[in-house]
Amino acid sequence: MTNLQTNKSLGIFPPSWSEKRAGRIPGNVPIWVGILSELTEFGIFFVAYFVAKINYPEIFAEGPKQLNTFIGISNTLVLLTSSYFMAKAMSYIRRDEFKKCEQFLWLTFFAACSYLCLKTWEFTWNDAQNIHTNTSQFFTVYYYMTFNHFLHVGWAACAILWVIFRLRKGAYNSKEHSGLEALAVYWHMIDLMWILIFPLLYVLR
Amino acid sequence: MKKLKKLEVLWITLIAITLFNTSLGESFDSTVLVSTIIALTTMFKGMMIIDHFMELKEGNKVLRIMMRGYFFIFPMLIIITLMM
Repeated sequence: MTNLQTNKSLGIFPPSWSEKRAGRIPGNVPIWVGILSELTEFGIFFVAYFVAKINYPEIFAEGPKQLNTFIGISNTLVLLTSSYFMAKAMSYIRRDEFKKCEQFLWLTFFAACSYLCLKTWEFTWNDAQNIHTNTSQFFTVYYYMTFNHFLHVGWAACAILWVIFRLRKGAYNSKEHSGLEALAVYWHMIDLMWILIFPLLYVLR
Repeated sequence: MKKLKKLEVLWITLIAITLFNTSLGESFDSTVLVSTIIALTTMFKGMMIIDHFMELKEGNKVLRIMMRGYFFIFPMLIIITLMM
């Protein structure tokens, strides 16, 4: 393996995982190291949720009823829409339609900001209902999951701004856009985590 | 054009499933049937995002298996914990 190949794959995965043998890696290898690490982190939260639910079934049946479902579903719709916007941005960069790509990146950014505002409203609403991290085992898990997810949306929103800046500087085109694609797969991972969090905390009783 | 249309259909499908799941959860207690429907539709939503938004359907097989495995295991835990 040449130095160039080693750098591209980071030399940390077995050869059977390489692009040559397993297929194209969307984005780049480093972002997938990050994504798999994040999935592990959220996986631990999900395991904690299920263990706690088995031990405190009544508390976990009552907990979701105290949450504001309207805000929860609004968050879900906003994130799904943001993923759609991001996928559109990817479609347009592949056609060298830079203006439209930028427009959809801005829409994704505004969707991310809307999510952050909705979540802040939800945390404030919870506080007004006297719901805190130590209210019950359900809410401890709820705050661990949702606040962690909130942080991920926050820094990914900052990354969207960085990618817009790079796009304006001409760093991406139909042939080379791995940086933009890396952000896109990371953003979809954040959406995926919410898709799991939403039914666990808001829907299932 | 075909690709753009596909994204729109996928987005509307995901929104429709979310609204259906929420109304199901709001209207009924979490029986095995309700929870199974919610778990399976959550699994479906995850698989759609992995395959079409993350573009792993024609992408790296190892990453696709890992991602799809994740979205198989955790929704299945919803059903398994109900039976415990």
